[in-house]
Amino acid sequence: MRIHALSKHFKQVRAVDNLTFDVPPGTVTGFLGPNGSGKTTTLRMLLGLVRPTAGSALIGGRAYADLPDPRRTVGAVLETAGFHPGRRGRDHLRIVAQAARIPQRRVDEVLGEVGLDDAADRRVGGYSLGMRQRLALAGALLGEGGGRPRLLVLDEPSNGLDPGGMAWLRDLITAKAAAGHTVVISSHVLAEVSRIADHIVIVRDGRLRYAGPAAAMTKTLEETFADATS
Amino acid sequence: MLRAELMKLTTTRAPWLLLAAAQLVVIVGVSGADDAVKGVAHVGLASMFPLMLGIMAVAGEYRHQTVTDTYLTTPHRGRVIAAKLVVHTGAGLGFGLVGAAVALGTTAALQRFELTAELTRTVVGAVCWNTVFAAIGVGVGAMIRNQVAAIAAALAWLALVEGVVAELVGRDAARWLPFTAGTALGNLPLDVDLSQAAAASVLTSYAIALTVLAVATTVRRDALP
Repeated sequence: MRIHALSKHFKQVRAVDNLTFDVPPGTVTGFLGPNGSGKTTTLRMLLGLVRPTAGSALIGGRAYADLPDPRRTVGAVLETAGFHPGRRGRDHLRIVAQAARIPQRRVDEVLGEVGLDDAADRRVGGYSLGMRQRLALAGALLGEGGGRPRLLVLDEPSNGLDPGGMAWLRDLITAKAAAGHTVVISSHVLAEVSRIADHIVIVRDGRLRYAGPAAAMTKTLEETFADATS
Repeated sequence: MLRAELMKLTTTRAPWLLLAAAQLVVIVGVSGADDAVKGVAHVGLASMFPLMLGIMAVAGEYRHQTVTDTYLTTPHRGRVIAAKLVVHTGAGLGFGLVGAAVALGTTAALQRFELTAELTRTVVGAVCWNTVFAAIGVGVGAMIRNQVAAIAAALAWLALVEGVVAELVGRDAARWLPFTAGTALGNLPLDVDLSQAAAASVLTSYAIALTVLAVATTVRRDALP
């Protein structure tokens, strides 16, 4: 995943301003910054949902829309992704699988993986925030299979998860990286990222403030973050 | 892609509620009419429901933010609109056929009637009206992505705006307006000087024009504000 000279201006606001960084394959990259620093807009441009004002955001050398099989190559959990409250969780995943030509058996597999088997046949309107987050993760994992390495893009994935859920999510992310997948996790909660990320990117006001391996940081993540965003 | 859109349609309750509401209108309309043709013509009037269905197909995705998932799966948004158009035009046809069956069944239960050429014209026209209004709904929903605003705009047009516009453009031009053309297509007893074939053509033209605009704006705009 390569972000190059990426900018997005909304009227007068420079949400993302000439941003350049790489995400090394096979790592967990923490994409950090205060609220409103352009993280979500960057990820939306990466996924082809928002058109950049300038620059490029590529995955394996291609724009998202040019990927031959985007759902199998990239899994994403976005803050703004929603569910129809009247639809059952299982039906939501069946629809995604159908549209992405993913075998329907994957639906049961991911429901098990995120621990939603029992709730799958209830309407999403009755789900807790944490259950919705698990359903979103299930949707991101649907395209996994065949041992092909993927990119997982997680935008504030721990929103709504309880402490147990957050520990579970950390284990899941670590396991995905160990299996050879690349994970980008955006967050404004440093503690949850510092334990799993091996690469750190920090932005503020849409600009790059820090990028490098976690192991190369001379200070703690909190201190680095404070320096980079002050 | 088409099957996924069909699954979206059948896995929530709203489409079934719209279908049921349409039948209520048809049954009440048929029961209150003094002859079979006027009664069955209510199937055409019930095309408001497929219109709403079409609007909800696109604007509803923005309302519930399911559109993010849809575009992640199918980044080429023109294909998404095309699939919605095909599936919901089919659903509009289904609304028309169900309405026709319910109307004829209700009529048969209330009075003796013969399937005259006039009645056949009314049934066929009503089914076509339902079909093309579903397609127009998809276009409207893609243009006006706020679902409440889109439905309000569509209903306001039908109830009020088209009447005002008709006053402005004159009776001769007003027959080409969408609702008026719909009443001609549905063979409503309103004395509109427009043949059914011409009405079908003008409504199909509206649907095509809206679809082209819908695809153009949807591809260009950001998926999220």
